[in-house]
Amino acid sequence: MTDLLSNLALGFATALSLQNLGLAFLGCLVGTLIGVLPGVGPIATITMLLPVTFGLDPVGALIMLAGIYYGAQYGGSTTAILVNIPGEATSVVTTMDGHQMARQGRAGVALGVAALGSFFAGCVATLTIAALATPLTRLAQVFGPAEYFALMAMGLCFAVVLARGSVPKAIGMVLLGVLLSTVGTDLETGAERMTLGSLALADGVDFAVLAMGLFGFAEVMRNLDHVETRGVVEQPIGRVFPSWQDLRQSAAPVLRGTLVGGVLGILPGNGAVLGPFASYAMEKKLAKDPSRFGRGAIEGVAGPESANNAGAQTSFIPLLTLGIPPNAVMALMVGAMTIHGIVPGPLVMSRSPTLFWGMIASMWVGNLMLLVINLPLIGMWVRFLKVPYRLMFPAILVFCCIGIYSVGNSPADVVLAAVFGLAGYALSKVGFEPAPLLLGYVLGRLMEENLRRALVIGRGDLGTFVQRPVSAVMLAVGLLALLAAVLPAVRRRREVVFTE
Amino acid sequence: MTDERGGETARHGRVRAPQDLAAGLCLIALAGLALWAGAGLDAGKLRAMGPGMMPRAVAVLVGLVGLALVAFAFLHAGERLQRWAWRAPLFLTLGVLGFALTIRPVGLALAGPLVAVVGGAASPESRPRELAFFAVTITAFCILLFRVLLRLPIPVLNLPGLVVL
Repeated sequence: MTDLLSNLALGFATALSLQNLGLAFLGCLVGTLIGVLPGVGPIATITMLLPVTFGLDPVGALIMLAGIYYGAQYGGSTTAILVNIPGEATSVVTTMDGHQMARQGRAGVALGVAALGSFFAGCVATLTIAALATPLTRLAQVFGPAEYFALMAMGLCFAVVLARGSVPKAIGMVLLGVLLSTVGTDLETGAERMTLGSLALADGVDFAVLAMGLFGFAEVMRNLDHVETRGVVEQPIGRVFPSWQDLRQSAAPVLRGTLVGGVLGILPGNGAVLGPFASYAMEKKLAKDPSRFGRGAIEGVAGPESANNAGAQTSFIPLLTLGIPPNAVMALMVGAMTIHGIVPGPLVMSRSPTLFWGMIASMWVGNLMLLVINLPLIGMWVRFLKVPYRLMFPAILVFCCIGIYSVGNSPADVVLAAVFGLAGYALSKVGFEPAPLLLGYVLGRLMEENLRRALVIGRGDLGTFVQRPVSAVMLAVGLLALLAAVLPAVRRRREVVFTE
Repeated sequence: MTDERGGETARHGRVRAPQDLAAGLCLIALAGLALWAGAGLDAGKLRAMGPGMMPRAVAVLVGLVGLALVAFAFLHAGERLQRWAWRAPLFLTLGVLGFALTIRPVGLALAGPLVAVVGGAASPESRPRELAFFAVTITAFCILLFRVLLRLPIPVLNLPGLVVL
């Protein structure tokens, strides 16, 4: 306990330095802006802004990138409530009751409850991370290559289960991602793999390039497919502070949402996206009068928004303790860390404690900032929402191009990203989701490395994964989740959760 | 792309889920490509995995999933193929390629407006004059942000004998 307190004190001393406060503020502000604007996700934004952080020290860079991430989660809800378009994938649920509240002239209350719920969830999640960090890191140190491999395999199984759309397609995308990760020079033997003799591929496909193609360019192409109608709510936003009764009504949903979102967020395989859906389904089930949902029930905003934010933060846990990114945004954080010479994993905590605890403390600081800066700035966000997409996407293109170019100072990367953009668009046309591919790509290289090591230790016996209890359990859990997803009964439920 | 061919067969086969068929064919094609590109790699043994083992194993799995999707397409009814837009992908890709070609030899001062204007033409709603003005503004902003403030080594304007920035 005293350890925890002294660690947090160290963290806050770092996070509260003037420079880091400023960077957290900037990150939150940019993140919220991105979150508010539909059509630009946090993945594309973080990639675009990676070059901006090159000149910063590692702590500052990561604090700013983290700020962008949760700022985006937060800004997404503003768009969901005011425009009925989810600014981010995770705020899909909020459109249902949040927008109805806005149409009843209660937009302010909806935004206020979302902000307060998110803040509460953020505080709890920050404390959870701080408390779990040390024991989990210790756990990670007894993990061998077999366990790491099993853990990542389990994560990929979860990613399939949690992905939208059909299960076989998600499996295909995950595998394709893993396959893509093997392109380039093999680290162990130095052999060039599937480079087709191209020099640009010799180092493998850069993660930023792939992410920008799939989530930057392809996303713009998809958005241009259908003409967008953006009706910003004309009703007055109204007072922002919820009444006593509103607060009483949303207290329990916020608590439950935080719990559900927080637990799901820790799961490897992008559990954070499921949080809001699960929370919404739960609130609807628990409500005395479920018919109110979809017509402006405040519980339908409070629960999912808290779950959303809690999950966004607890997804840092696998990254910070085990060095395994549970979703694409965390994979970008890995990229940012490596650029600054930090190898993510259990050693970060002991080797660079200021970075580790500073980042954790900055999460809480960021949440407080979001609460303070966002409510007064709602008017400004609304004005941003009125910028038409025909002007927004050329700006996105310019930023994407500059972002990719500066990551490696290479025009070939830009060409490669354009190719991935086209491929991503084509894949989405036949019903594939890009998110599982990205996760497969991210974990692919680590998986191969650990598989090799595990097999060297186990003398080529695949049984080693089943004989070691921890790895056997994780593989079994992953397999069960996968089997469950294809069972008809669960499949139907899963569809309900995602379409509701 | 394979999808177009998937659409052809959909019309005269007993395909019940054209989209799944196209998706499956896509995966099979990609798996084939990977197997071909990695054909010369040594697979090694489980005890000492060679560079070819993982790619080949995963490519085979991708192909199997593709086959499963193709099979499903004949068994279950599913979605039809979506219409393909050509304007957005074409202009966007052209714009980005233009950026890649001009950023080194000339610099951001040309590459920026190029990608914004050519890429911007991807939207049927774009208005040429507004777009041109916007393209110049956003480029100026980017030069200010990335080159002047953040000092990234991006070439801004490089006209041999005249200016080098």
